[in-house]
Amino acid sequence: MTALLEVDGLTVRYGPGCEHCDYLPAGEVSCATCGSVFGCRDVCLQLDRGEVLGIVGESGSGKSTVLSCLNLDFAPTAGRILLDGDDIAGADGSRRRRLRAADLGIVYQSPQQGLDLALSAGANVAGRLLALDWRSYEEVRSRALAHHISVELAEERIDDPARAFSGGMRQRVQLARALISTPKLLLLDEPTSGLDVSVQARILDLIRRIRRETELAMVIVSHDLAVIRMLAERVIVMRGGRVIEPGLTDQVLCDPQHPYTQLLVSSQLT
Amino acid sequence: MRTALDGLLESGAPTRAGYGFAYMDASAKREVRRALLKAVCIPGHLVPFASREMPVARGWGSGGLQVTLSCVTAQDTVKVIDQGDDESMNARGLRQLIADTTGVATTTDARTATLIQTRHRIPEDDLHEGQLLIFQVPVSDPLRRVSPLPSFTRTLHAEGDYTALWLYLYEDHARSGRSSFTSSYPVQVDGRYVMTPSPIPRYDVPRLDGAPFLSLFGAGREAAVFAVPPYTRVQPLAFEDRPFEVERFDEPCWRCGSSRTYLDTEFAAGAERLVCSDTDRCRRSVGEGAR
Repeated sequence: MTALLEVDGLTVRYGPGCEHCDYLPAGEVSCATCGSVFGCRDVCLQLDRGEVLGIVGESGSGKSTVLSCLNLDFAPTAGRILLDGDDIAGADGSRRRRLRAADLGIVYQSPQQGLDLALSAGANVAGRLLALDWRSYEEVRSRALAHHISVELAEERIDDPARAFSGGMRQRVQLARALISTPKLLLLDEPTSGLDVSVQARILDLIRRIRRETELAMVIVSHDLAVIRMLAERVIVMRGGRVIEPGLTDQVLCDPQHPYTQLLVSSQLT
Repeated sequence: MRTALDGLLESGAPTRAGYGFAYMDASAKREVRRALLKAVCIPGHLVPFASREMPVARGWGSGGLQVTLSCVTAQDTVKVIDQGDDESMNARGLRQLIADTTGVATTTDARTATLIQTRHRIPEDDLHEGQLLIFQVPVSDPLRRVSPLPSFTRTLHAEGDYTALWLYLYEDHARSGRSSFTSSYPVQVDGRYVMTPSPIPRYDVPRLDGAPFLSLFGAGREAAVFAVPPYTRVQPLAFEDRPFEVERFDEPCWRCGSSRTYLDTEFAAGAERLVCSDTDRCRRSVGEGAR
C-alpha cells in the first residue's frame, strides 16, 4: 500500500535560477549571482494514514511554504506531491478547488486567512459542502451544526458572524470547517500560536481528540516544540528552506544530531 | 464587394440628416453584433464590448440602446418599456431616438413588436419565436457582490465556482428562512454560467426558462453583453428543499382587475394601490372588459 502523502523534491524558487543556485551555502536562501530566493528546496516527506508529522524551524525556514504547497495555494517550481498516488502539485484551477474542498483541510494561524469573518460561523463551516455541490439546505445545515457542536462551540451561536468570535473560537470554527468534508489530510499552520495558554491547551486537547476519533493524517507546522512533542510522532527540522533533520519526534527532540537542531532544542525555555 | 451591412445602411425610410441608419456607424454596429454572436454562442457568459458614448448617459440604458441600434432593421417594429411602462420619460426618449434615426415603426403592443427594448420587465403577453428582447442592465456580473475585481470573478466564472452565491443563499435561509435576492435573482443558464437576469422581478425569472424569444442583455456602463438564446434552460439558484418563489400579491390590479400579472404600488390621492406594471396590457384588458 502506498503512503497517503508523498512529497518528492519540492522546490519553490522566486527568480530565474542559475547554475550557482545549486551550490548555496547551508542556511542561505538567496543566490548572490541571479538574486533568486528559495522558499524551500528539495523537501521530501512521507505520511501514512493516521500519522501526524511535525515541521519545526525558525521564521523563514520554509515551514509555511511547504504547507502552502500542500494546500495547493501555489504550484511548486519543481517536485511532486502525491496524495493517494495522484500528483496534485500541478492541478488546474477547478481540480484544485475540488481537492481543497474535499480532500484537504487547513487551519491557519490567523483566522482571517481561513475564514470570511463577515459571514456567519455556520456559513463558513457549510461553505465546503456547498463547494462540493451539496444542494439540500437541511442536510447542509444539520451537518454544519453537528460539526459546530463537535468542536465545542455553542449551538445558538451558529448564525453569529465569525467576526463576533474570540480568537480561540475562530480556531474552532476553522477546525469545524476543515473537518466537515472528512478530508484525507489536515494541515495545521501554527494553530495555537498567539492564543493564551489555557485556550491553547483546550485547542490542543480538541486536536488530540479529533485525531483519536478520526485517525486523520495531519501535518502540523509550529515553532513551539512542546506542541510538536504533544501531537506529532515524526518531525522534520527545516532551516534555510531545506530539511536538515528528519526523524521520530522523541529521538530528534531528545537527542538532536544536527548542530542547528541542538541549538533549537537548547533554546527552549522550560 | 457589397456587404449585407451596406444593404442595411441604405435600406429603410429616410432618417435624421447627418446620421447613418440607426445612429451608430456600420463598423461600430458590427463590433457590437460580433460580441452578441459570441454571447449567444455561450449562453449566460459575459462578453466585453466597446461601449460607446451614446446620446443618453451611461446608466440610462446606453447598453440596451447600443444593442438595439446594432440589431434593428428597417422591417422591425419597435417597443420600448421602462418597468413595463411605454410612456415613461426614458422609454419615450429612447423610442423616439430609435425611430428618428431608423424610421422604423413603433408600437406599444408587445404581441406585434419584433424588437422590444426593456428596462427591468418582460412584457406580460406571451412572446413568440422570432421576437427579440433587449434588456438594459445596470450590474452585469452576479459575482460583483463577492468581489469588485473583474479579473477575480472571471476566474470564478471560468471554474464554475459559484459557492459564494450559495453561501449568501444559505445565510439568508439560516437568518430569515427565505432568499434576500429580490430582483436580479441569479440564474444558471444552460447548466453552466450563472448570470444576473438584469433586475427583473422574480415574477419574470421563470418566464425566461425555455422562452421562445431571444434575450440580449446590454450593460453600457460596464461594457458587457450577454444573452439567452431561445429554448434555453434558465434555473434560479435555489436549494432542493427551499424552492424558488415569485412575488405574490394580496389584491388584484385596481384598474383592470387582473390577479395574474406583476403589480406595482401606485400612490394616488394619499393612498397606496396595486396596479399592473405592464401598462399597455392593462389598458387593453380594461378596453376588452368594457366592450
